[in-house]
Amino acid sequence: MSDHPGEQLVRFDRVALTFPGSAGRHPVEVIRDLDLHVRAGEFVAIIGPSGCGKSTLLSLVAGYLTPSSGQVLFRGSPIAGPGRARMMVFQQPALFPWLTTAENVAYGLQLKANRSHGRNVKATVAALLQLVQLDGFARHYPSDLSGGMRQRLEIARALAVDPQVLLMDEPLAALDALTRRTMQREVLHIWEKTCKTILFVTHDIDEAVIMADRIVVMAPRPTFVLAIEEVRLPRPRLREDPEVGTVARRLSSLLE
Amino acid sequence: MRGWVLPRSAVRLSGPFTVLVTWELAARFGLVNTLLFPPPSKACADLVVLVSSGYLSKALSASLFRVVCGFALAVTVGVSLGVAMARSRLVNDFCDPLIELLRPISPLALFPLAILWFGIGDGSKIFVIALAACFPVILNTFAGARSLDANLIRAARSLGATEFEIFTGIVLPASLPHIFTGVRLAWGIALIVIIATEMVGATVGMGYMVLEAQQTFRTERVFAGIFVIGTIGFATDLGLRRLRQWLLPWYRETDS
Repeated sequence: MSDHPGEQLVRFDRVALTFPGSAGRHPVEVIRDLDLHVRAGEFVAIIGPSGCGKSTLLSLVAGYLTPSSGQVLFRGSPIAGPGRARMMVFQQPALFPWLTTAENVAYGLQLKANRSHGRNVKATVAALLQLVQLDGFARHYPSDLSGGMRQRLEIARALAVDPQVLLMDEPLAALDALTRRTMQREVLHIWEKTCKTILFVTHDIDEAVIMADRIVVMAPRPTFVLAIEEVRLPRPRLREDPEVGTVARRLSSLLE
Repeated sequence: MRGWVLPRSAVRLSGPFTVLVTWELAARFGLVNTLLFPPPSKACADLVVLVSSGYLSKALSASLFRVVCGFALAVTVGVSLGVAMARSRLVNDFCDPLIELLRPISPLALFPLAILWFGIGDGSKIFVIALAACFPVILNTFAGARSLDANLIRAARSLGATEFEIFTGIVLPASLPHIFTGVRLAWGIALIVIIATEMVGATVGMGYMVLEAQQTFRTERVFAGIFVIGTIGFATDLGLRRLRQWLLPWYRETDS
């Protein structure tokens, strides 16, 4: 739960990132001078040409990478490494295949770092599985689940440790069109129910317009913020809505 | 097309059955030299003698003791070394050339030395079995720990796992299918090596029993011994496969 809605939760402050060249390869400049802030409770979509460094952006917030210069701040302090407050949802779900659905969700709760919370693991797991509509599949292994179900399971596992930000890296890209539309509603439903802040990388402009409060348009690599679009349309939005089409066309002309 | 279908198990049994019956008849009717190919019934009768006299159990327990000790040593050393090599480049760079130099040497070539070092008793055989069987465990454990999806570790780290929790909760279970393949190979090698070493230098054991029978022209005993050795190998491998299904119910093998 974000206790101060509207508070600046994540902030990129003149961030640059260059991967050092190794073994005869040139260094790669991925991000150049990026400024961005995300408010608590906000649903922010990030779009941009493929390979521009959208995922890298999320890895910086997750703490898997550190900027070469500038700072990524979380609630005012620089991000030092991975942490429970900022959970990543990977494009190819990184579920633990040897654990059942329920055990995957419980994994985080049973770690030493989280045991002090005193929350009832069983009850929390049951509630989360119900939220992502997997309550009938508690004893299944990830290999028995469909693509959409795996993605929902990964979201449930991330929510188990009560993060403040969900970092979603093209979470729906691997799904078929129909499942994808259902999952878009699911993610919005989860967002509305949990009031988490969501950073949502996608290459689908329509998807971004349907889902987000704000859309960040990234430039080609080395990337920076090209434009920010506030979407003030009421939800639920449909791909077929003319207003959605207008915004999407404006964004896609920016990307060309 | 399909009318009357034989149960699959009946078809599978009919192969060995046909061979045995043909052989028995050929021996009975004098079509083959019975000194070289005694009828299976005679080998069976000798097997009964071996069992009732207690000679078989003495030979078998001596052999199995050596196999189990050598195998246990190989698995312990192999898993530890494989994991250490996968986790540390220093350990890998140090051990890899040694392993690649030792691996092509027939373990039997070292047996004369092993006798000098550990004597003619159990020690030399356990040493050679452990040496021969540890390579597939090392290599498969290494491959398993290396092929681990980096995002699994990232996810665990975000959820709050310590380095120790990542090792025991992620690296080890993720490597288990590979480790198990190595263990199965190691067991097969151990069963091969024990017979060979017991034929070269031993006073008790299955290999010694078969060789002694050959030297006294009791070919039916040679076949009885071979039958027991084969049955042990077949049954234990079946047991290991069952054990894997029980230990790794989540693991989906493409080819079983």
